[in-house]
Amino acid sequence: MNPTPRKLALSLSRALSRALTTATAAASQSGSAFPLKTVTTKNFEASLSELRDHVRTSDFVAIDLEMTGVTSAPWRESFEFDRSDVRYLKVRDSAHKFAVIQFGVCPFRWDSSNHYFVAYPYNFYVFPHQELEDLAPCYEFLCQTTSMDFLAKYQFDFNACIREGISYLSRAQEREAVRRLNSRYESEHSNICKLKDVKGIQLISMADILFSERMKNKFSKWRDGLLQEQSREEQIIGTSKDSKQLFEVIFFKMHPAIRLSGFTSRQLKLIQLVIRKHFQDLSYVCVNSEDSGSQHMVVYTDSRDELNLLLKEVKDGNRKAEEKKIQNAVGFRHVIDLLSAEKKLIVGHNCFLDIAHVYNKFIGPLPGTPEEFVTSINKYFPHIVDTKILFNNNHVLQEKMKRSRKSLASAFSLFCPQIAVGSNSSDLDSPLHVKVNVEVNDLRSSSWNPGAKHEAGYDAFMTGCIFAQICSDLGVDYKHHESSPQQLALNEKLQKYVNHLYLSWIHGDIIDLNTGDKVAESTPSNNLKRQYPKILFENIVIIWGFPSQLKANDLRVCISKVFGPASVVSVYHLDATAVFVQFSKTELVYDFLLLKDTLERSDGTILVLHPLAKILEGGNTCAADYDTYKEICGSPISEALFAEQAKAVGIKWKTKLVESQVTLQAEDHESPGAEGSVNSVMKLVKTKPNIIEQLRNAPSHRKVSSFETEDSCCAVEMNA
Amino acid sequence: MVSLFQLLFLQQRRSLCTRASPKRWRVKQVNNSNFPESLQEIKDHIAHSDFVAVSMEKTGSPAPPSWHRLLPFDTVETAYLKASLSAHHFQLLQFAVCPFSISDSNTLVAHPYNFLLFPRDELRMGMPSYSFSCQPSSLASMACQGFDFNACINDGISYLSRVQESVAKIRCGTAFPSFCVMKSSSISTVADTVFVERIKSRIKHWRKTCKSSGTSGNKDEELINSLRNIVRGSEQLRSRPCLTIDVCSERQVQLIVEMLAEISDDLLPLIIPAKSGSTQAIRVVLANSKEDKDFLERELQNVEEEETKKIRGFREVIDLISASQKPVISHNSLNDCTLIHSKFIAPLPPEVDEFVSSMCTVFPEVLDVNYLIRVIGTKRKVANIPSAISYLNNHFFAPVDVKIPDQGTANEGKSHGINALRLCYLFMKLCSILKVSPYVNESSNKHMAAELEDFVNVFHPCAAADIQEAPVNEDISIWAKNTRKVSIDNVVFLWGFKFGTTAGMLKSLLHASHDIFLGEFDVKLVDKSCAIVVFWQPSLSKQFLDVMNSKEVDGALKDLVSDGMRVTSYQTYKTICRLGLWGMNLAESLESALGGSHSDMKVDSGSKSSEIHWYNDNIINFDDL
Repeated sequence: MNPTPRKLALSLSRALSRALTTATAAASQSGSAFPLKTVTTKNFEASLSELRDHVRTSDFVAIDLEMTGVTSAPWRESFEFDRSDVRYLKVRDSAHKFAVIQFGVCPFRWDSSNHYFVAYPYNFYVFPHQELEDLAPCYEFLCQTTSMDFLAKYQFDFNACIREGISYLSRAQEREAVRRLNSRYESEHSNICKLKDVKGIQLISMADILFSERMKNKFSKWRDGLLQEQSREEQIIGTSKDSKQLFEVIFFKMHPAIRLSGFTSRQLKLIQLVIRKHFQDLSYVCVNSEDSGSQHMVVYTDSRDELNLLLKEVKDGNRKAEEKKIQNAVGFRHVIDLLSAEKKLIVGHNCFLDIAHVYNKFIGPLPGTPEEFVTSINKYFPHIVDTKILFNNNHVLQEKMKRSRKSLASAFSLFCPQIAVGSNSSDLDSPLHVKVNVEVNDLRSSSWNPGAKHEAGYDAFMTGCIFAQICSDLGVDYKHHESSPQQLALNEKLQKYVNHLYLSWIHGDIIDLNTGDKVAESTPSNNLKRQYPKILFENIVIIWGFPSQLKANDLRVCISKVFGPASVVSVYHLDATAVFVQFSKTELVYDFLLLKDTLERSDGTILVLHPLAKILEGGNTCAADYDTYKEICGSPISEALFAEQAKAVGIKWKTKLVESQVTLQAEDHESPGAEGSVNSVMKLVKTKPNIIEQLRNAPSHRKVSSFETEDSCCAVEMNA
Repeated sequence: MVSLFQLLFLQQRRSLCTRASPKRWRVKQVNNSNFPESLQEIKDHIAHSDFVAVSMEKTGSPAPPSWHRLLPFDTVETAYLKASLSAHHFQLLQFAVCPFSISDSNTLVAHPYNFLLFPRDELRMGMPSYSFSCQPSSLASMACQGFDFNACINDGISYLSRVQESVAKIRCGTAFPSFCVMKSSSISTVADTVFVERIKSRIKHWRKTCKSSGTSGNKDEELINSLRNIVRGSEQLRSRPCLTIDVCSERQVQLIVEMLAEISDDLLPLIIPAKSGSTQAIRVVLANSKEDKDFLERELQNVEEEETKKIRGFREVIDLISASQKPVISHNSLNDCTLIHSKFIAPLPPEVDEFVSSMCTVFPEVLDVNYLIRVIGTKRKVANIPSAISYLNNHFFAPVDVKIPDQGTANEGKSHGINALRLCYLFMKLCSILKVSPYVNESSNKHMAAELEDFVNVFHPCAAADIQEAPVNEDISIWAKNTRKVSIDNVVFLWGFKFGTTAGMLKSLLHASHDIFLGEFDVKLVDKSCAIVVFWQPSLSKQFLDVMNSKEVDGALKDLVSDGMRVTSYQTYKTICRLGLWGMNLAESLESALGGSHSDMKVDSGSKSSEIHWYNDNIINFDDL
């Protein structure tokens, strides 16, 4: 259905006039490129109001983020040995340390008259400018070198981002800023007359005295002039010899006043002193305004009451200006607030990290546990769907995906081939394919060249297209829910997938945002986890700081010599300085830690002969249970190597003894609290000497078997 | 009256002389694409220069109100720890180098370069840096000056530090077989002889088969030989046969190398390093003749040099400056040198003394222009190089002529990294004001003037105050007047007061609280959370600490304590710097040092200078200098 010629002409002329006024619009309309609205500080206000309408009428909104990095240290990357709570802590660390520099938002609306979706792709350049200096002094964010390199490879414009990126503040930061503002205006010392720091000033030099005297004369002359002839305010007193210092006679809120400019801060202080000391009816006022910064002036008032009224007015004005400044600093968060307020269905692609960033940057610091996070995020975004969940939990789609790679771009060309090539009218067109048109600056287009990969706006568009196609494949009928946009989120065919996010991709751990429960993948098939035995975290010991030439296999051999050939299930390198050792039985964790501690406390002779001596060589070898690993992951510090990290976190003990369930009954109740803080020095458990004796003799009783050399870089499986 | 006359006179003189306008100065911009040829150029320029000025731009620096910045009361040790923290965190994006020579008393010839750097992980080993910190404000101000971040990330030159280079070589391992060094042999044991004989016969046999197969011209035989080579898995190196012998000790390496020299002069041994750094195997290459062997050796050496050059990247420039042993001019030597050391040499050592001695092996003489400026006697805050230049231009008459011979080759319109050039200019001006001829040409032995030796390798930003003892200039006393030396024993840190309390309010609160404060004392805020109190009367600080820690706190002081006020000595401050407890607020860090198990950590004290400087003038802000 073609629009009438008149309509077309109208929209065309509108588009043309816009293209002339907005530079970005011109760029996006220039034929070849994918139509996309690029938003920077220059066109943020206008784009926001436009986006408001698009979001309001949309059926769902696809988002995508570009960050300055993903992991702050190699050992913070995700591993098979990460329990879901550890995985969350790693995501939290990433969201806390790195900055968001580009945010793609793409609302999709079903056009029922044309039977296609209309997408409105926006690409926001954002940058954490610290516009309110006192809020977070010396705020820093991290950049991962490889990520920056990656973005540069995909032509990311860092200059635009830094020069014109829109700033952002989280809700928590805004609350803090407003709190500070209130306390500043409520406290007795805040006073626009700025007298607090003047008290201490003393006229030291001759220059100060001369200056003060000159000022006194000048102001008294002006005031006398005012009093004598109220009509002659026009007189000029500002004919100072030095052209830099300027007195400008103005009216300030209906009062005669002199605006001061070109003075140093010390001179201004001296003027304040002079006014306070010598003039009852003059007052010194500092006004903060948005456009011209702070202005200093001396105002004449007839009476005390009038002065108080004026001061109050100025105070309110200053406060308004500062509130406005906070609102400006909130910047891009207005977009997030909009998405949250409209309660739209948010679509992302493998978006757990993205959502964590959204929370950290725009709501507040991430809570300590995944459960708290989930309940909290659900309040702000009641409906989130991850396209990756859709692929992996549906047999039909999984079959479709099998041959293709898992990246967003390949999924896009697989599900939406006709959109990917940029034309809706090719031979690929079939009734099964959902049609999508793109509208930018009220100009709708149905064909385009493919956009730039890893540009947040285009990535969001691709994600949205994939989602629309999958919904159609799942049998969602768009024609019947045009009235209420929320219906898509509540559609029964999608219920299995909405609000399910991958917490850990490797384990297939899915978290349900509605309930906070962990859900297993419904169709676990060709996933990575199949290749590995089930990991029992309570059977794991983490060892770090051992001699650097020891590899996974050496460690396995050493430990097997003591605890038997079947004792070690797998050894996994976390990085060059740390390994996980998974034992076959939980008690062995306790036994190992105890033995290590005993050996370290014993004299040298036993140590030299012991098979574990090789691991303990150098005296820096530390060992602990899995919970210690979690605690270390939770620390805000990020050192490059795990051994350095443990040191930086403040671990000073060498062995963390844990209570073994088996020995618990036999032990006195003096055994150490395993849940003691990382910083505390661990107490030693009193143990029966015969256990040690037994362990000491262990190598002679047990057969030592040799193992095939294993690749130390990946977890190895042993027949248990 | 006299001074007014002088001023007029100077004004007149100044208008007569023509100075090179800094606006027209151009700096050669170097990125990945023109790095190799620029390296050749700068090599000559450094070799022929008298001094090398350096200046760098990084992604952030601690600024007020953060206590991580250098504070006037920092000791040499804490100042170093703070500088090393920031050197570790932030990244260098731009490094300006300007070798210059002095042709006569007021003319300098400069060759300014500006290198764009980015720590790209060329070897995929997480080096030179896995990640780095940025301050939005620093990046924004760089953007304001027209810094091109896209060019920096796309075309910036990467580098590896000396330590990282050796790590990379080990990890690349087999990629660069290195040459054996002959060492004098010690007495051989029976085991050695057996080992040598066994290897010897193996090599002889191998050599014979290689030679015999090489001589036959039969085509069939050639085919058979090549097939045999494939079956046997024998190796070739640059179309020469070679044999790999596994070794288990350095001793064996030595024996094999010696033995090879005995057998023939056409065998070239190459060492294949293991990942741990030791030798894994020896690869013996059979050359056609002795000449061929020498040729091969040279060729391999060249290849290795090219490879390492690629790995070193920009560090090559640092190595060139270091090798030239020329004095280095810097504007903030502590910050610059910690940065250079941590990025291009090795991770920073924990002790300042170790750092200074390590730095001296890299740059024997580092001259800090900041100290020179203070000698001139400015009380004013000279925030940066341009303002220092304008200050000198307005107060002194010292014309300096700057000649830049390579202006033509400099890229048009670019003046990034001009600070290094300005530094040369500033240095010359200062020397001329101080009437020091910076370079002495003494019987063909050029060296730096003895007068400048006092300013060399002073890695303490506040140490300039000590210069007053050195009889360089009488003007010192003018600015030194408002500085008082305090022993750190007389200083306490105090926190836990109401948010928004000013130093003045705090002082009056304290004054009213206890008899101790009847004497002379001063209060300054360090950041919003913490203040520093100085007692001008010795032993009062100890008394105050004792009172605060005892149970007999009473009166107004008791109210303050119950409101949460806490105190600690300067030692705690040293401890937190040493332990790296760089919390957001100073109070937070001090608290955790006192509360945690850290208090049992031993803190080295005593030997270091225990005096700090107290500035009555609170506008002095050393971080900006």
